[in-house]
Order: sequence, then C-alpha cells, then structure tokens
Amino acid sequence: MAEQSSLASRRSSSSASRRKPKKNQIPIGVALVIIIVAIGIYLGTKSGQLALYWTLGISFGVILQKGRFCFTASMRDPYLTGGTSLTRAVLIAFAIATIGFAAIKYGYQSMGLPMPGMSYVAPVSLGTVFGAFIFGIGMVIAGGCASGTLMRVGEGFHMQILSLLFFIIGSLWGAHDFGWWKLNVISKGKEVFLPDVFGWAGALFVQLTIIVLLYIAAEKYEEKRKAQ
Amino acid sequence: MNEVILDCLGEACPVPLVKAQNKIAEMNIGDILIVQIDHSCAMKNLPEWARKDGHNVEVEEVDDGEWEVIIEKLK
Amino acid sequence: MENKAEKKVKFFDRVKNNDYYIKWIKSPFTYVAAAVLLAIFQIVTLAATGNPWGVSGVFAYWGAWIYEAVGGTVDKWFYFASPGAQATLDAGFMEHAGTWRNIGIIFGALAATFLASGFKIKKIKSKKQIVAAIIGGLMMGYGARIAAGCNIGALFSGIASLSLSGWVFAVAMFFGAVVGSKLLVKFFM
Repeated sequence: MAEQSSLASRRSSSSASRRKPKKNQIPIGVALVIIIVAIGIYLGTKSGQLALYWTLGISFGVILQKGRFCFTASMRDPYLTGGTSLTRAVLIAFAIATIGFAAIKYGYQSMGLPMPGMSYVAPVSLGTVFGAFIFGIGMVIAGGCASGTLMRVGEGFHMQILSLLFFIIGSLWGAHDFGWWKLNVISKGKEVFLPDVFGWAGALFVQLTIIVLLYIAAEKYEEKRKAQ
Repeated sequence: MNEVILDCLGEACPVPLVKAQNKIAEMNIGDILIVQIDHSCAMKNLPEWARKDGHNVEVEEVDDGEWEVIIEKLK
Repeated sequence: MENKAEKKVKFFDRVKNNDYYIKWIKSPFTYVAAAVLLAIFQIVTLAATGNPWGVSGVFAYWGAWIYEAVGGTVDKWFYFASPGAQATLDAGFMEHAGTWRNIGIIFGALAATFLASGFKIKKIKSKKQIVAAIIGGLMMGYGARIAAGCNIGALFSGIASLSLSGWVFAVAMFFGAVVGSKLLVKFFM
C-alpha cells in the first residue's frame, strides 16, 4: 500500500477524486436485490421453471460482471494485445464443463434414457464456419458477445443497448433466411458427437488433451509476445 | 519527467488498452501515463497488462464507475 | 426523521469501508474464479433444465415478437415453423423461460454493479460507436442464427457437450475476431 500511494502522490495533475464527492450506491443495490427476489417469487407463482431460469440468469449475470468475464476478449486479445489470461480462463471453464456434461450424459445413457441437451450437438457445415466467422467480427466491433452485451446493458452502456437492439434485428434477419441456409448448406453437414467417434473415455481424453495443449500454447504465446 | 493524461472515458474495450499500449511505447522511462476510464473491464485488463509489462501501476477510483489508471513507465 | 435518514446513510458508509464488503462485493473476481463458477452453473443448467445454457436463440423470438407487434408475421418462416416454436410464440414472452434468463443476466449485472457502488451511465461518445454497434450487432445476430448459436450456445455449450461443432465454431470465431480487430483498429478507434 505504501508504495502504491507514492505513485499517486507524485503525479502533478490533481486527481479527480479530490474534486468529486463520491455517492454511495449500495442502498440502490440492496433495493435491486429485493426487486430481483420479488420478481423471482412472482415467477414462482406462475411456474417453477420460470423462477429457475430467472435464478440462473441472475447467477450468470453476477458472475460475468464480477469476473469482468468476456468471451470477446478471450478471442481478440491474443491477436490484438498479446494477453491470454482470459483465453486461459475460458479454457478452464471448457474443461470443467466438459467433465460435468460428460458425467450427466453418460449417466442418462447408461440408464437407458435419452441424453439431455443433444440438440446442442449441432451439424458441422459451412454455415457453422460462416456464421461463427461473422459473429467473431461482429462481437469485436460491437465490444461484446451475446452474454457480454447483456451484461454491459446492465452496467449502463448505451452503446450495448444499441448493439443488443441490432443483435435482435440481425437474429430476426437470420431466422428469415434460415430456411435457405438449412436447405442448401446446413443439411449437408453432419452432427458429430465425439463419444460416438472415440468412445466416452477416448472423447474425454482427446478433448481435455486439446484444452491442455491450447492452455500451454496460450501461455507460451503470451511470453513470446512480451519478449518482443 | 513527463505526465500524460489519456482520456478514454466512454471508450469500450479494447480501445483503452490499445491506446495505452501505443502511448506508453512513445514515452520515456520514468514518465507517468494516466488513463481515465469508465469501462469496468478496462479497469481490470489495463492494470494487468501494465504489471505484466513491468511498469508501476496504481488504480484510483475517482467516482462511481470511473477510474484513473496511473502507470509509471519503468522500462 | 432527518436523524433517521442520516443514520441510514452512515450505516451504508460503514458498509462501504467494511473489509468483507471490499473483499467479496466490491472487488472483482479473478478470471479463473469466474471461469470455475460459470462452468459450475453451466453444469447446473444442464442438470436442472435438461438443456445447456443458450442466449442468442432467445433474441430470434424477441425479434419475432417485436415484428408481430408492428404488424408483421413470421408464421410462414421455416425457422418458426415447428409446433414447439409456434407454441412459444403464441404463449408470449412473459411465459418464455429463456427470456427471463436473459433479462436475469441484465438484472444480475445491474445489481452487482450497484452493490459495488460502481454504476455509471455510459453515453455513446461518437458516431463511430453508433456505426460499430449497428454493424456489430447485425453481424452477431445473423451469424448466430446461421451457426446455430452464439459464444454461449454454440461455443461454450457446444464444446462442453463434446460436439465437434463447438470446436469448428471456436476456430472460425477466432479468425473472425482477428479480422474484427483489424477493422476495429482501422475504422472504429
């Protein structure tokens, strides 16, 4: 702390903190928590499912905001600024979620039940490549991905309110053209569920190995960029 | 010793970081760069980069949701 | 009355300087802590709802509801043709679970920001930001529909579901981000 304050005291321009009195926003935060709980209770009277989704949404919002977690930065920073700490964090999230998902899916399968969430194993087609590519461009320009845009709307960014609006319009546009894409592009692709190819243990091994290798590569890359 | 103030208020990521990187590159050792930001992500990634780059860093909260990142160029 | 109000203010000012408040509510989490938490809640989502986390699919429904509110109709669109999609559209957004999850993300972030006493309205600074928000938003929206998801549904949930599509999405999105970075530095900075 002592060393830190020395830097601020050595500056010649006056810090804005001595000019502006700080307001205390905690009471508004507490009021918001009460409103959130009230909405949760209201949704609970309609259906348990709505209340559950609301709770999950609140949790994701808090985690994303507190962690300043940004999928956009994880993809953009390696190229743009040379930093990979968010990239590595995202890889950690992938690894943990992979294990949890595999456990749940394997459990269902071994009980002879249909596995949950298999609609998220999407066909691999040129549509995936094209869509993800323009999504990648868009998120860097707009300064936020899907989750990041919502989180930043909550943080008070007018720019992200605008990009959310056009995200919705773009989604509608995409939904409008979806029939053509489905017929001519997506239907030519195939769903590939890795356990079908490598078996359960093999799929987990392959995927976790790739994640570890990417993690190491990201760390080495950052060191190399810094040395330049 | 020079002191430069970089106004990045209202700029979204990664603009503050890129601007700061460019600015610090053209400054001399011992100079101080003050980046004014109100983007909460930059309040994390800017100090992180500067520390890893080997500079002296300090973050001052000047107002609700407004920070000044003070960077002393050390190398 | 005034005395009471003053006491209340003092209470919250004391909270503001409390060590636990600063440590747990004011300071940001590390990236790794947030990553672990996101993964846990992603697993919780699959276990509790039967589906992984998704964000942008909901936006297509929001678009459809807005479009119908201004007099359009999406009944003939292939995307909304399935009985399930029609039922969702008819039930309205108040009954749509995904809608509440997305609004929840906004509210969660809003509450977390206020509790940390760090809220500030960030106005649009330049015309460049308007253009960037419009172009970026449109590209994300269109891309997410064609690629069957966004960074959450197609990338995070796709990879966690051991789907090859998640990895293909990741690679293509990475190259998109590189191109986006070049455009950003050239035109939007």
